[in-house]
Amino acid sequence: MNAIYGLYPDPGSAQRAFNVLERAESELGFSGKDIAVLSGEPYEGYGFGQRDNVTRMPWIAALGALAGGLSGWVFVAFTQKTYPMVSGGMQLVTKWPNGIITYELTMLGAILTTLFVLLITARIPDWRGRKLYDPAISNGKILIGVVNPPETARAELGTMLRDAGAEAVKEFTN
Amino acid sequence: MNKTPEQINKDLLRPIYHATWRFYVTAAILAALVAAALFAWGYQMYYGLGISGLNRPVFWAFYITNFVFWIGISHAGTLISAILRVCNASWRRPVTRCAEAITVFSLSIAGLFPLIHLGRPWLFFWLIPYPSERGIWPQFRSPLLWDFFAINTYLIGSVTFLLLPSFPDFALIRDRASGWRRKVYGIISLGWRGTPKQWHRLEMAMRIMAVAIIPVAVSVHTIVSWDFAMAPVPGWHSTVFGPCFVAGAIFSGIAALIVAMALLRKLLHLEEYLRPIHFDNLGKLLLVMSLLWFYFVFAERLTTWYGNFPGEMSVFWSTQIGRFSPLFWTMVFCNFLIPAPILAIKKLRNKIGWTVVASVPIIIGMWLERFLIIVPSLSYKYLPYNFGTYRPSWVEIIITIGTFAAMGLLYLIFSRVFPIISIWELKLGMPKKEAAPELTTQEAAAGQTQAG
Amino acid sequence: MVIDEDRCTGCEACVAACHAENNIATVGDDEAARGRALHWIRVERYYEGDFPDIRVKYRPVLCQQCSDAPCEPVCPTYASYQNNEGLNAQIYNRCIGTRYCANACPYMVRFFNFYNPVWDKPLDLQFNPDVSLRSVGIMEKCTFCIQRIKSAEINAKAEKRPLKDGEFNSACVQSCPAGAMIFGDLNDPESRVSRLSKSNRGTTFLEELGTHPKVVYLKRDTWHDEQNA
Repeated sequence: MNAIYGLYPDPGSAQRAFNVLERAESELGFSGKDIAVLSGEPYEGYGFGQRDNVTRMPWIAALGALAGGLSGWVFVAFTQKTYPMVSGGMQLVTKWPNGIITYELTMLGAILTTLFVLLITARIPDWRGRKLYDPAISNGKILIGVVNPPETARAELGTMLRDAGAEAVKEFTN
Repeated sequence: MNKTPEQINKDLLRPIYHATWRFYVTAAILAALVAAALFAWGYQMYYGLGISGLNRPVFWAFYITNFVFWIGISHAGTLISAILRVCNASWRRPVTRCAEAITVFSLSIAGLFPLIHLGRPWLFFWLIPYPSERGIWPQFRSPLLWDFFAINTYLIGSVTFLLLPSFPDFALIRDRASGWRRKVYGIISLGWRGTPKQWHRLEMAMRIMAVAIIPVAVSVHTIVSWDFAMAPVPGWHSTVFGPCFVAGAIFSGIAALIVAMALLRKLLHLEEYLRPIHFDNLGKLLLVMSLLWFYFVFAERLTTWYGNFPGEMSVFWSTQIGRFSPLFWTMVFCNFLIPAPILAIKKLRNKIGWTVVASVPIIIGMWLERFLIIVPSLSYKYLPYNFGTYRPSWVEIIITIGTFAAMGLLYLIFSRVFPIISIWELKLGMPKKEAAPELTTQEAAAGQTQAG
Repeated sequence: MVIDEDRCTGCEACVAACHAENNIATVGDDEAARGRALHWIRVERYYEGDFPDIRVKYRPVLCQQCSDAPCEPVCPTYASYQNNEGLNAQIYNRCIGTRYCANACPYMVRFFNFYNPVWDKPLDLQFNPDVSLRSVGIMEKCTFCIQRIKSAEINAKAEKRPLKDGEFNSACVQSCPAGAMIFGDLNDPESRVSRLSKSNRGTTFLEELGTHPKVVYLKRDTWHDEQNA
């Protein structure tokens, strides 16, 4: 995997570079998903920061909550019925105390589901191999570049990135 | 604040790389106190609860006081982080991580106390629902089981809430570190890179977590209060316990947060990040909670006195003019008479020293409140023939001091592993300089040119 | 159980018998002064009036074996629950010592082993083999001498006949010289205890709490007697 990218000091120039790359993609022979964007903070207000922002996470979390709650209720009611011991003159399967346990397990289901969906969809942990990265990102620079560009287009891409306002244009190979 | 990202990185990562001799000395003292507490606990496990001050009728005292107190303190992080996130309050940014840390550590400490106060603590795992060889499951009708589920859910939720926004900061440290630090932070940052997809997922997860953790926090302290309210003990069996405890928890939590923030500010030289405005805002919240606390206590006392139930009146008078009255009036002084006037005066609230002066008595007062809920009611329970007294023994005092030391120690270690202020969120909240207005991606694709 | 307060002399033979029957340790002076004595049944004394017109009331208090016992639902390990004979059973092996049941009990009839109980020699030779010893950290309380109930039931079953009233008594009932305590099966309408529990001298302890205890206290209404005298 190799890449060519530029580091931009502010989101304005990063957006410029992104636009330029998008316009040039069919010309130079790479596709939209080869454009790489990395940043040290989220940039919701800019086009380049809005890729891949469709997610079903809240729905899945709600499903997880439902699963947690159902399994909680079934579990508690089942154990109370099959190991019947009367206490305090209450019924065997008590609605309100069981409801509390069900509620806690509902919330736990939502929390754990959110965590797992995050880990899976953000593809972390991801320790395999070296992926495109530049430590300058943590100093506030924004990385815009192309992954696996065709050889012929490399020089032109470099010029485009530099013209859009990059502080540095670098290449990355792993 | 006009700081470049590099400057912010340097300031906030400094505690992770450098530690003065003061850090090591403090850590050593705290560790010694924690060791003393662990020794006392071991002694108690060996000889039995007889060496504590517990007796019949006061079967619960210091340990349960501490338990409820620390659960109360744990509400700091949730309120600040979650509610302020949901409300999009921008002043929360430097405060969220130190608040979330308080929650995680105080919850862990609180979770120790049910073990410490058990008669046979080595069998604590019988509260865990698993198919046991004894052929029974735990009794889910018991409030102690509700405690088990609630506290564990809250602990898992709080740890998640703390860790999720930490990944980008770990990646930051990984980028700037070398040697063993690079390796370790490389692993715990889970390979975070910062693609828009990752940011989106992270922010969505934080949004869901913020909304989910608030009802959990409310339920946790309500359920802890129901340890008392479900028993027909005079002074305990009151419907107001749920809301009263939650309000008291948020109250003590904010006070603890203010003290923690003031200490961090001083010791880690974060004067430019934790500014008087943060203490001012937290002070306003604290004032509201102080008034709310007073309201709850007044309402409860008034209804008890007016109702004149014989069983409850023994408890009532013991706290108002009897044996426990010095503690009760100290508590009112600490929770309301000192803090409310201080926090109501804007000039004082804007000075960090004064908000700390208002907060420290609150922490003491809230501890006293937990004590005064438990011990007077048990000392004066229905039958005068069985009234009793309570005096703490050395074991209970040392363990109490030890848990405060444990909190300090954990927090100290935390400040050296995590950046105490969430760096990426802080940067996010700072105004950005714009070179020139830019076309959005759609506008560029539509072929529009930039207006001159 | 029915306890007749008009007959009780306050001799505390029931207390001694209970200790002997149920292997209850004496905790010593210091521990008793700290309020940790383990008297499963105790005789409460209430003094009325001034010298020389003092009157004393005696009330033996033991576990009331409540039908709606507040101590049962709060135990996290089912160590305290209602068995199918209506007794509030305490299973020592399940107890992990949270002491919640002791807090919930309004009658203060539950006891905690703060230390491992010790018996000085030769008292360690006098244990009742039918009752298990409790170790440190376990709650205990009056069981209505369930070992005697069970042994009577086993005998009756072996002889293929129903239990007779008066066939089994708890230790306290057996030892009461004044005959102030009566024990038996409340489900049997012909038993002495059933008939006496319906007496118009009968009340239950802390009735307003709704625990529905199975111990009925009989006492003549002296207040009205004095008013009408």
